[in-house]
Amino acid sequence: MSVGDRARDVLARLADASATERILISTAALLLSILVGAVLVLVAGRMTACTPNEAVYYFGTGFCYDPILVFDRLFLGALGDPLSGGWSPDGQFSVTLRETTLLIFAGLSVALAFRAGIFNIGTQGQMVVGALATAVAVLWGATLVSGVLGTVVLVPFGILVGAVFGGLYGAIPGLLKAYADANEVITTIMLNFIATGVTLYLVSGVFKDPESAANQTVPLPEYAQFPTVLFGGRQDFSLVALFFGLLAIAGLYYLLEHTAFGYDVRTSGIQPEAAEYSGVDAPRTVVASLTLSGALGGVAGAMYVMMILGTFQTGVPSYGFDGITVSILAGNNPLGVGIAALLFGVLKSGTTVVQFATDVPPQLVGVLRGLIILFVAMPEFFRLVGKRITDTGSRAVATDGGRPEPAAGSAGTSGDDGGESDE
Amino acid sequence: MSDATGSVSEEPRRDESDGLLDTHSPRKIVAWATVGGLAVLLAAGALFPNSLAGTLSDVITSRNTLASALRLSVPIAFAALGGIFAEKSGVINIGLEGLLIISAFTAVYVTDATGGVWLGFGGGIIASTLLAALFAVVTIRFRADQIIAGLAVWLIALGLAPFASQVIYGGPNTSTVPTIGAISVPVLSEVPFFGALFSASPSVYLLFLAVALSWYVFERTSFGRWIRASGENPKALDTAGVNVAHVRYAAVLLSGVLSGMGGAALSLDLGQFTGNGPTMVNGKGFIAIVAYLFGNYNPIGAFLSTMLFAGLDAMQTALQLQGIGVPRQLIRITPFVIVIVILALVGRTRTPEAAGEYYESGEE
Repeated sequence: MSVGDRARDVLARLADASATERILISTAALLLSILVGAVLVLVAGRMTACTPNEAVYYFGTGFCYDPILVFDRLFLGALGDPLSGGWSPDGQFSVTLRETTLLIFAGLSVALAFRAGIFNIGTQGQMVVGALATAVAVLWGATLVSGVLGTVVLVPFGILVGAVFGGLYGAIPGLLKAYADANEVITTIMLNFIATGVTLYLVSGVFKDPESAANQTVPLPEYAQFPTVLFGGRQDFSLVALFFGLLAIAGLYYLLEHTAFGYDVRTSGIQPEAAEYSGVDAPRTVVASLTLSGALGGVAGAMYVMMILGTFQTGVPSYGFDGITVSILAGNNPLGVGIAALLFGVLKSGTTVVQFATDVPPQLVGVLRGLIILFVAMPEFFRLVGKRITDTGSRAVATDGGRPEPAAGSAGTSGDDGGESDE
Repeated sequence: MSDATGSVSEEPRRDESDGLLDTHSPRKIVAWATVGGLAVLLAAGALFPNSLAGTLSDVITSRNTLASALRLSVPIAFAALGGIFAEKSGVINIGLEGLLIISAFTAVYVTDATGGVWLGFGGGIIASTLLAALFAVVTIRFRADQIIAGLAVWLIALGLAPFASQVIYGGPNTSTVPTIGAISVPVLSEVPFFGALFSASPSVYLLFLAVALSWYVFERTSFGRWIRASGENPKALDTAGVNVAHVRYAAVLLSGVLSGMGGAALSLDLGQFTGNGPTMVNGKGFIAIVAYLFGNYNPIGAFLSTMLFAGLDAMQTALQLQGIGVPRQLIRITPFVIVIVILALVGRTRTPEAAGEYYESGEE
């Protein structure tokens, strides 16, 4: 499969599209996904059981879940209810920023590979490997230093370890792609499964905390974790980690836009033949980009261990897949990753609030994750819709009103929409 | 695509001879290594019945291993057949995993709601076909990148199935439903090892049928020729008056139908859908892709390479029970390691010329 060629094709197409258009498409995709999500919540509300007076009524039909309440909770809840007073920096807003921090690293990891024309679906596995390495190495380091000095030494050390191991794990699909022509989409997905299996083996054996029933490493002492600065301590959020995230955004932006290596990466992403003709060592660029991408995934794992969990436990949440959404939403631009990570962080943190307020399961965000990717991937759709609106105002079938029905038509079974408007 | 005829006519030819060396010999090597390895192992097992080789050859020659290999290969092989149809027509369907997930869940849900196992089987197929239709519209009409759209299909199903299960059953796992009973062919099922072939779930027989039919469609029907042309040279097909988009729609929908059978068979075989983590599908859709690449886009080849993966999987299950000292968690990752090794050996396969490309017809 010449997946790479295709990726480059897409990237070239994406690069052609103006930045404004990309922002418009991403925004439209996000809104459309949320609309489809609302329809889904309504449908789910029909399928679950509740008493008549718990239900809300739209169009004369009762629904158990109220999508308006759901989306109120999703967004205002994620921001810690700024409108209703009693906003506390230690509240849900910290959770949102915590998620944002991890999504920044996961998103940057995917984005960097994408810019080189490589699909790195393996950020998840690289994160898992980095997380376990960090948990084990920092635990060892914590026996040598302690106190404030411990924090100053161990946190950067943990990040470094996560980056190195994530990077090495990312180098595997890089080498396989560069020298054996093995499709990186498949190898990275397989390596995700392998990472889960191997870490489960290690953490249920050699590295297991003997005092815990769960498969986890011995918890890190407080001084070996990210310190709480100003706020967020109760929600396992650290401004220091977010600061590292912003630093990584700036660093990757500089690397891609202002260095020779970044130039190589971008040209091999857009025009591999031209890049090779102009002297870019293609296999080396592939290995280097996937290694760096893996390192960023590994740092996400280090953050997860040193900021959120304080230990490594099996069943690491799938931030790696969220990273794909973040990167695609950001048009694979490091600066855009910051904004996309915040938006998706709101969605992730919001779904937990939603679960408390209503009974809508938090897996909703998993559906949105896929829908966003799907919609951003079809700019042609929005162009057609846009054209239809601007060309003939009277024929604006697909988007009039923004009520749930058109959303159902355009996404739930988008076949109808395309087919109908065609005839 | 065809502007510089001079260079084009030279390039592919070199590609093809390279391709023969590159793809066929490692493929043969792996095939012969498998056969040879098996022979050595069986011989060693016969000589030293108490050694590790003895245990292994016991496991391999056991009728149960063949039975579970067949059972395990059903979802992978169905998805692989579907993947062949889509990719040969020029649409790379990397969302097979998602199709398996959605059909596995829906099959159990419909069975639970209606009480009919075969209704559930049909429900799974419909769900998978609808999702494939969405994928088809997005890639064929709205020109979305096939790989990204395929990933989206996977992630949507990965979110949707546990979401629906949570709504309906209050947890990521569904309640259990009746399973499809096995069908035994009277005399033949008594045969020692190969008897497993004649005492299996109906889905296994359906799979045999689907493999044979797919082969027939590709080799003997004009629809099969259209699919190949749509992937290799859509321009020529267009010129011959066949609508490329229609052929591709049909092929992608077929991949939905076939994957739907695989997913429904997977969950109905167990009578439950489990939706934790990567769900019960657990990468089978991606293994299917490697299976048909390794099988060189041939339905029979894809089935045989699926049997290789499934056979290994069946062996690891048996070995876990026997306890040979290798930890369970590590035995469990062998299929994924094998997939990577095979992918590295086979390397670049000769994909259909126009696979992954949007085809713009002259008219519109």
